[in-house]
Amino acid sequence: MVDNKNWNPKIIAFLCNWCSYAGADLAGVSRIQFPPNIRVIRVPCSGRVNPLLILASLQHGVDGVLVSGCHPGDCHYLTGNYMARRKFTLLKSLLEHAGIEEGRVQFSWVSASEGNRFAEVVKEAVENVRALGPARKLVKTPLSSG
Amino acid sequence: MKHKIIKKKDIAGFINSLIGEYRVFAPVQKGRQAFFREIGSGSEVFLDYQNTTNSPKEAFFPQSERLFAYGLDKKGLKLTVPSEEKKRVVFGIRPCDARSFSMLDPVFDGEKYKDVYYLNKRAATIVIGLGCNKPPATCFCTSVAGNPFSTDGLDLLLVDIGEEYAAEAITDKGERFMEGREGFGEASPDNMVSMGKVKESAEASMSPSVKIDGLSEKLPGLFDHPIWDSLHEKCLGCGICTYLCPTCHCFDIIDEAAESTGERVRIWDSCQFKLFTQETSGANPRPAAKDRLKQRIMHKFSYFRDNYDQTACVGCGRCILHCPVNLDIRRILAGINSI
Amino acid sequence: MQDFSKVPDDIREAAKKLLEEGKVDLVIGFEAGTVPLRSTPCFIRNKDDVKRLTWNAFCENNLARYLRKRPEGKIGIVAKGCDVRALVELIKEKQVPREKMVIIGVPCRGMIDRKRAEREVEGLQIREAVETEDRIILKGDGFEKALNKDEFLHQSCKVCSHPNPAMYDIPIGEPVKEEAPKGSSEVAEFESKPAAERWQYLSDEISRCIRCYACRDACPFCYCEECFVDSSQPQWIGKSINASDTMIFHLVRAFHMAGRCVDCGACQRACPMGIDIRKFLKKLDSDVKELYGYEAGMSLEELAPLTTFKEDDPQGFMIEP
Repeated sequence: MVDNKNWNPKIIAFLCNWCSYAGADLAGVSRIQFPPNIRVIRVPCSGRVNPLLILASLQHGVDGVLVSGCHPGDCHYLTGNYMARRKFTLLKSLLEHAGIEEGRVQFSWVSASEGNRFAEVVKEAVENVRALGPARKLVKTPLSSG
Repeated sequence: MKHKIIKKKDIAGFINSLIGEYRVFAPVQKGRQAFFREIGSGSEVFLDYQNTTNSPKEAFFPQSERLFAYGLDKKGLKLTVPSEEKKRVVFGIRPCDARSFSMLDPVFDGEKYKDVYYLNKRAATIVIGLGCNKPPATCFCTSVAGNPFSTDGLDLLLVDIGEEYAAEAITDKGERFMEGREGFGEASPDNMVSMGKVKESAEASMSPSVKIDGLSEKLPGLFDHPIWDSLHEKCLGCGICTYLCPTCHCFDIIDEAAESTGERVRIWDSCQFKLFTQETSGANPRPAAKDRLKQRIMHKFSYFRDNYDQTACVGCGRCILHCPVNLDIRRILAGINSI
Repeated sequence: MQDFSKVPDDIREAAKKLLEEGKVDLVIGFEAGTVPLRSTPCFIRNKDDVKRLTWNAFCENNLARYLRKRPEGKIGIVAKGCDVRALVELIKEKQVPREKMVIIGVPCRGMIDRKRAEREVEGLQIREAVETEDRIILKGDGFEKALNKDEFLHQSCKVCSHPNPAMYDIPIGEPVKEEAPKGSSEVAEFESKPAAERWQYLSDEISRCIRCYACRDACPFCYCEECFVDSSQPQWIGKSINASDTMIFHLVRAFHMAGRCVDCGACQRACPMGIDIRKFLKKLDSDVKELYGYEAGMSLEELAPLTTFKEDDPQGFMIEP
């Protein structure tokens, strides 16, 4: 179980290869400091991110999920991020409606040249999740004997 | 066997006296329905019901059951098997459901293979039934060798005779259980007469609605008959009939793993799901809903008879009551009988 | 005052004509059920069988569920408001060709929630349910109880604002009065509760879920060849009864319904455990209306919201440091 005193948020970040991942990389090579709480998963496009991946992350005990893609209009695959925007609007709305805390699942647009912006997004995302405490609601616990 | 009585108002107290020594499973009420559940207090027991949505098979054959858990520690692999079963009371179930245990027993207590998980629970349980004074029209136990006051599978049978229940010990286990129990008093001759009347009127109220004779011999020859084309059409292919059925017992075994720990779990499965017979190659011997509905009927009324000499149906009517499209097993059997 | 008593005969007449004239190979409708308060789907292929067809306040199933991948050439369907709206979306999803369908459109006054009605005479067995203009009379041994239809309709019928078929080939009877949309007030009421309470409510509801998938199988839109719950590579959710897996099942099914669900209530009606499934679905119905101006089942031309986009779609939900 999570030790609350020493708890640090763990956030899975799905970053699109062409923009956000590159932006994150730029932040790295530019030595811009940002919280180390994210675990990056590179995807071809933010539109590729299946809501089931986000829910699976929460099920496995991560405290937050961040999905970041190209700015609208700049998607490498032309329309992937537009579709993602609608999907994520609805997913976020549904999860919050169900009582999952607002701030667990977050989205952003970060371009390849926006190293600073990436760092700011991560800082904000991590602080939002830190304020919520460890995620418990969807965590899968083993069966208790029947 | 000696008869006793227990006042209705003493039931909650009686159950409370059991909890602690026994795990107690009984009908409870939630919203508009009765469910069979483990209870924590006598006040939860709800006996003014027709039948529970889920069946008492769960007491011996839970929907999800851990077979063992595993983990890795410094010393290596560690296996944990469930601990010994605490004594249990299954209380207030209908005689049809108690009969279903006689059908599950030969499956889990076979000559060659004995299912320890099922058998340990079975051995640790006292089954107390409640006879049906007013069997609903959807019940057809008398058509499948049952009876609203059948004692098959019961240790004790309660009969509602107004202010109290007459209690009849069926097995030695039941008689010993009742011995010296607080709340149980001697049954008077009047009580016995009431009990007889109640049983008589209940049996008289049931009209035979299903003809089972000859079905098991007839069905195999009808495997390719076109009647299945029309019988299945409205079936949704969900698992309601099989999951709620007291005699259905198919299961799957899965591993739920998380890095270096996990557990092996037995879960209910249903022949109504397409995945039930799905092969890795992609082939499926029962590809259509028609095939799966046919399988259910064949299994219950033919194959189970071949293997265990019983019809795998107790006439509880749950499949009729809860099927979302009112696919009525009585109609299916009537259709087959008409051929 | 509208006369609804001729509706069943009109339906039989229409079906008979269609079969006689060879305009359809099959008519899907409802016939009398085997227990009180129930009608049941039926499949009529012979004009002599049309007398089985009925119409009453117990025709609660969504028949659009039976339309996909049928071998018959042309199919007649006795469809109420929500059935037709489901069909509209199925046509847009290219699951059912419009030319294959002959829609016998029936204006709907709502279907009775039989479990609620049964509760009214709790413990007593209902032997017969008689429907009148505005009441359901429950009869049993030694009792007779009249219920007001309006009070005992399914919740989805109570808030329905499109009971008349939006599309039809053969109209039956007179349209019923359409009420202003009320569905969003259900959502607003739930949203007014704190998040922890909402989570608790939904968790309690699905604690009874036995994963029978009747909700999925009753829905006209759950037609994936492989449902995500059955996927093993990857396995999204396990198969045992686990609170987290079951919650994810209901959340994801609701998400898959975004912009498609027509609130026919078939899922909730199918559930044997009485789970409030619509609580998961109503939110996204109201979201797509509010955000994208879309209502499922009302137009054959409008693109479903998750199949398209606008360059200026709302994005206030995103992190903007």
